[in-house]
Amino acid sequence: MSEKEKLLNPDPGVCLPWKVKVEEIGEFPGNEEIAKKEWEKLDDFAYNFIWFWAQR
Amino acid sequence: MNEKEMLYQKRLERYTTAMDCGKPDMVPVAFGIGEWIVKYTGTTLQEIYYDLDKSNRIVSEMLPGLDFDIFKGGPSLWWPPMFDALGSKLYKFPGMGVDENSTFQFNEQEYMKADDYDEFIASPTEWLVNHYLPNISTELENPGSYRSTIALIKGAAAFAMQGGIMGAAWAKWTVEHGIVGQGTGFTKAPFDTLGDALRGMKGVLLDLRRRPDKVLAACDAITPHNVNCSLAGAGADTRFPCFAPLHRGAYPFLNPKQWDTFYWPSLKATIEGMWAKGKRMLFYAEGDWTPYLEKIAELPDKSIIFQIDTTDPKKAKEILGGRFCLQGGVPTTLLTYGTPEKVKEHVKRTFDELACDGGFILDTGGVVMGDAKKENALAMIEAAREYGVY
Repeated sequence: MSEKEKLLNPDPGVCLPWKVKVEEIGEFPGNEEIAKKEWEKLDDFAYNFIWFWAQR
Repeated sequence: MNEKEMLYQKRLERYTTAMDCGKPDMVPVAFGIGEWIVKYTGTTLQEIYYDLDKSNRIVSEMLPGLDFDIFKGGPSLWWPPMFDALGSKLYKFPGMGVDENSTFQFNEQEYMKADDYDEFIASPTEWLVNHYLPNISTELENPGSYRSTIALIKGAAAFAMQGGIMGAAWAKWTVEHGIVGQGTGFTKAPFDTLGDALRGMKGVLLDLRRRPDKVLAACDAITPHNVNCSLAGAGADTRFPCFAPLHRGAYPFLNPKQWDTFYWPSLKATIEGMWAKGKRMLFYAEGDWTPYLEKIAELPDKSIIFQIDTTDPKKAKEILGGRFCLQGGVPTTLLTYGTPEKVKEHVKRTFDELACDGGFILDTGGVVMGDAKKENALAMIEAAREYGVY
């Protein structure tokens, strides 16, 4: 299993934590909070889509 | 404030007062326009399920003639095109697997195998993505393939589209008809998440004997996700309860010891976790929960609305009344096999038994089936207004 494939075990409401993504990006020249806020909204949408199928 | 806004406020006040175990001006009435409407509209059940605009139009046409407080929703529980996009094996829908006028069927299977427990427990969300979605979806059988990628794009788009269409419909019903929705969010008992969709009834019952520790660990792993699910789809709303259909906890699916050990602890933790965030559960106790009422009474005051389906209503009132709002009272079978006169008599008797101190919402016990008669459904809300004034 490669470094990228290690289990993330994300928290409820999260699929891919921002901190994982931002580490991959490295230096962040702009306002990180703006990007983080929108990232987390979409991540939450994806989470709801995934769990929708398990809550039948 | 216009007439519809005032109507909304009046209904909302009735609902919230009852939820907090108080006595409003009259008994609030919850009502849904179920599959039974189809035979009165010249459409097929398939059209109702597949065409959300048509389904919502039918609801919009019916609402002006109905006087109730809390709306439980229209006749299409699911939107099949989203399931079709993924080649979902979970359901057979009207016109796609079953007759165009047959209700949907759940295709229960062991979509999660016994060997999957450890990986699921280690990271539930990742396991769902990597294994469960491909297991339940023919289009996702080859992850990374053209068809799989297209199916995921279409499925996620459909999820957003449905949310947008239904959000707009509910906004319209609120503004134009003063409608108050029953709840926001959707969650389940962790044991039901495991036993309904993942392991199936046969699988989970065998697991109770063969791998009980795995069942408990899986329920513990699911619990924080189910707390989150109660708020996530609701935009963090805490005014209204989260709908939680409860299945395997009904007596006698499990014996009392199994219920105490496997079903209740994680459900209780889910409710307590929700309540700590200010979110109440519509404890939709399908079937008979009479043997468990004392345990349910251990919950924090007002943290649930307890739905009475075939639970003994007098015992529910005796054990839970005053601390938890009760909802229900009208057997769904009465709407199919009864007459308007019998329905009205039953509503009057229900009010005498359950509503006298407040903290009660009149509703059908469970989901009203497609063979219910419209005249009986209407008789229920007419009788509620006739006998429900405090």
